[in-house]
Amino acid sequence: MQLTKTLFSTAALSTLLLSSAAFADIKVGFIGSLSSDTGLSTLRGATIAIEELNAKGGLMGEKIVLVSADTGEDVTEGVKAYEYLAESEEVDFIISGSIDDVTLGWLPRMQEFQIPTLDTWTSYIGIIDMVIEDPETMAPYFMNIASDEALATLYINFGADVLKKEMGWESVVILAEDTAFGGAITGLVTEALGPVAGIEVKEIITYDVNTNDFAPLFSKAEASGADFIYQVSSVNSQVISSQYVKLQVPMGMTGVNVSALGMEYWEDTGGQGGGISTLSPVPSVGYALDATSEAFVKTYKAKYSSRPAIPHFNGFNAYYGLKQAMAAAEEAGGFKDVKKWAAAMEKQDLTLKKDDKLVLRYGFWDKDTVEPVTGRTYPHNALFDLTAPYEDAAPSMVVVQWKEDGSVGVVYPPEFATTTFTLPSWVKK
Amino acid sequence: MTQILIQGLLLSGLYALIAMGFTLIFSVGRILNLAYGAYLLIGGYTYFYFAQTLGMPKIAGVLLAAILGCTMGILKFKLLVKPLKGDHVAVEISSLILAVVLQAGVVLMFGDSSKILLPIIPGVERIAGAAVPYSNLFAAVASWVILIALYFFVRKTHTGRAMQAVSMDPKGAAISGIDADRINMITWGISGTLGAVAGVFFASYTQLYPGMWVAPLIIAVAVVIVGGIGSIIGTLIVAHIIGFMEVMTSAFIAPELRGVMTMALIIGVLILRPKGLFGREEL
Amino acid sequence: MELRWYHFAAWAAFVVFMFLMPEMVSKGTLRIFIFANFLAVFAISWDVLSGRTGYVSFGHPFLIGIGAYTTAILTKRFDVPVELSIPIAVIVTMIAGLLVVLPALRIKGSYFALITLAYMELIYQLVQVIRPDLTGGTRGMSGLPTLTRGAVNGYYMSLTLMVIVAFCVWLLMRTRIGTALSAIGMNEEAVKGSGLSVTRLKLFAFLLSALIAGLGGAFYVHYLGSIAPRALFDINFVFTIIVAALIGGASTTIGPIIGAFFLTFLLEYLRPYLPGAERYFIYGGVALLLYMYQPKGIYEIINQGWSKVRARS
Repeated sequence: MQLTKTLFSTAALSTLLLSSAAFADIKVGFIGSLSSDTGLSTLRGATIAIEELNAKGGLMGEKIVLVSADTGEDVTEGVKAYEYLAESEEVDFIISGSIDDVTLGWLPRMQEFQIPTLDTWTSYIGIIDMVIEDPETMAPYFMNIASDEALATLYINFGADVLKKEMGWESVVILAEDTAFGGAITGLVTEALGPVAGIEVKEIITYDVNTNDFAPLFSKAEASGADFIYQVSSVNSQVISSQYVKLQVPMGMTGVNVSALGMEYWEDTGGQGGGISTLSPVPSVGYALDATSEAFVKTYKAKYSSRPAIPHFNGFNAYYGLKQAMAAAEEAGGFKDVKKWAAAMEKQDLTLKKDDKLVLRYGFWDKDTVEPVTGRTYPHNALFDLTAPYEDAAPSMVVVQWKEDGSVGVVYPPEFATTTFTLPSWVKK
Repeated sequence: MTQILIQGLLLSGLYALIAMGFTLIFSVGRILNLAYGAYLLIGGYTYFYFAQTLGMPKIAGVLLAAILGCTMGILKFKLLVKPLKGDHVAVEISSLILAVVLQAGVVLMFGDSSKILLPIIPGVERIAGAAVPYSNLFAAVASWVILIALYFFVRKTHTGRAMQAVSMDPKGAAISGIDADRINMITWGISGTLGAVAGVFFASYTQLYPGMWVAPLIIAVAVVIVGGIGSIIGTLIVAHIIGFMEVMTSAFIAPELRGVMTMALIIGVLILRPKGLFGREEL
Repeated sequence: MELRWYHFAAWAAFVVFMFLMPEMVSKGTLRIFIFANFLAVFAISWDVLSGRTGYVSFGHPFLIGIGAYTTAILTKRFDVPVELSIPIAVIVTMIAGLLVVLPALRIKGSYFALITLAYMELIYQLVQVIRPDLTGGTRGMSGLPTLTRGAVNGYYMSLTLMVIVAFCVWLLMRTRIGTALSAIGMNEEAVKGSGLSVTRLKLFAFLLSALIAGLGGAFYVHYLGSIAPRALFDINFVFTIIVAALIGGASTTIGPIIGAFFLTFLLEYLRPYLPGAERYFIYGGVALLLYMYQPKGIYEIINQGWSKVRARS
């Protein structure tokens, strides 16, 4: 245990260990940022899983070792990192905590090297589309988080059930960042909000991601006469949410706020983030966990004192996903026969329950099954469920809200709710 | 309309403060300090560390940021600018490398994730439909006070006049007995201080993150290009042109074109009036 | 300035040595060489414009990016074959190069550096805003056709490109044009006085630089197989290109190559020891100290060392 811990704190020692480690070992490569909460969640989730597996004798009698390659969230560095793992370290399997554009950068390398790869953070539906278009070269790729399109689809139900029915909101102004992510989510939301949720879209305001001052944008949103703001923000979400609080914008705001996904949100915003709600992949902050996941969190907390204090959802994905990848390798006789491994990986299925209720399910869509709500396939994407009572799999997302006292809880869907959706104190109903 | 006026004034005040330290070095030392943004970076993080993490009084946080910025400015002059004397390209390039090193240092110490600063003065006032947080108002007022003080410092004091002299004609200044080295060092110190203080305000407006030095550098560059160099008043006016243009682009045209308009303005001015709107001809 | 047989012998030895590299090193190392080769091409391109004529460009990725994006869009969105899209990309980049010449006719020094930075920022913003269906917006594009597969092929491709570019530039700089270009860097007024057309010379240097940048950018994107605005129009990319040229030795042909290899290998060899953010810190620190020690670059350090050795013997 201690040895592996030192592996990551003392970099020099790690090379020593790795070079002396026999090449018969199973080598796992981590690709992602070593200084972001996102990257660290995946890395640590994978590390804990590997320690547990090694304690039980490793994989097929061989020890599993981990090497990491930092991307610094830079696209070109990501390509170099993937090449390093593939050709200098010659890893058997890669686990990724990369963000969207970094994954897109190294994907051509994955197609070239054909190394089994599991993505735990990026949820870009375009990558799943690549699996559909090019099943041959994308065979080694798996994504064990529900894709963004599935997140947005379920989110529309939140609009109908809570925003319209409970809050009585009839119209919305969309405040979306000018990125591919913003564009995709905005498109889905505007198309579905009207027909499905019965909420009228008054105006769509698209802003430049380098915007320093959101005051003119909030004024514009207020002037639109809409009942609430729907934000789509992944790049500088903290700025927009903290300015919403600082400016005390007199209307409700909900939507996608990537920065609010982790427990560090409160600390990072210095408490200037109350009232913000966002959709989140599961398991989100404030999500009631099963016993196995609880145990994982406990191990994690005992092992790491630096941030993130609790792993983000992708830390869980890495923990379970890595074990599944190893189980698939056991079945396929290693990672060398990629087709065989991919077939075994597709069949992996783990259901986690709390009080007999399904809370998490780790499995993958096959290439033929059509998801009934969206009417399309999601090969190699994590299983998700878009309809209550969410008995087939966990919902694709939940809505979490940060309260002004710093607490956070799930507000939707009701089956998983731990608190209710409320307006910030300065907004008059 | 009142909204636009208020929001424009608040943002422009901040921009003026950001640009001033950069202009100062450019006009006195003739050097493009590409590490200027790094003062803002260091200022912002210093304030965050002392005032927010350690919980010291806010004013102490600002002061410590200012002191560190001043020290960095002076150190940079002594260790980097002076040894490379005369070679402007070398100073500019090493400044750029320095900025990248400092960014890596911040990542090392504080990690990648962005942080929000607590408002310097909490609370918000609504005037004519525009929300005015006290913090932003304070930042704008403070920028004005600092800039006016700087104006009188340059015009009225002995050191200030010497700075002007070095800026206009370094050789002539040397002949009349001005120690150009000392003046340069003072200028670098002031520039570092202004940068670090601007960093606290800028970060409290937006957020703290390791790459935050690029955006203010671009603002400073825009102000210098459009305004030409050497004039505090010119800098002030151009900061308002750019600030108001951003606010108006967001309000009336299309918020996603905010940055495009600023860049288009820079290129347009440079091609039509290469010396800037208020520039001096000999430069 | 005369060409001697031993110049060509040195080139031949260098080329043979480099072509034998795949026999000597691992595939992982070859991948590092590939990035070094591309960086060398970009640094040579920068040096032709900035190192020689003294017009320092802080926005060189503007040119590289236009070349890269042109061929990426043509191949991905319009199914144009790579053989056709790369020449088109080079031509488009050269037209964009004219945009850079325009201000250079009137502006000198720091102002020129600033406007090139503004060009880069402008295109960075535009790529994301204008027609994201074509450019792929912030996420960029993935799955672009690649010219080669495998480390060895990629190495030969990048090496061939780099050697051809370096050799042609070297030959050209030994002609009178090369001398005149360097003279602009020293004293533009004097060149004007000698009756040469400064405008025409500048135009030539800028177009040559754009040609190399376009060529390099286009091959680079078809090597990577993906493109993203944040990876190209980035101040860190500017930093790497300029520092490669200067740390190696500006205004020489071998300098930018040395610099590119030094920087790329420094960063990659630190990876196993310092996997995290410390790596960039050390990397930047070494670059800064080396540059402060000798702003003329490693080439100059080697030269001085060599003459000391000769003086002693």
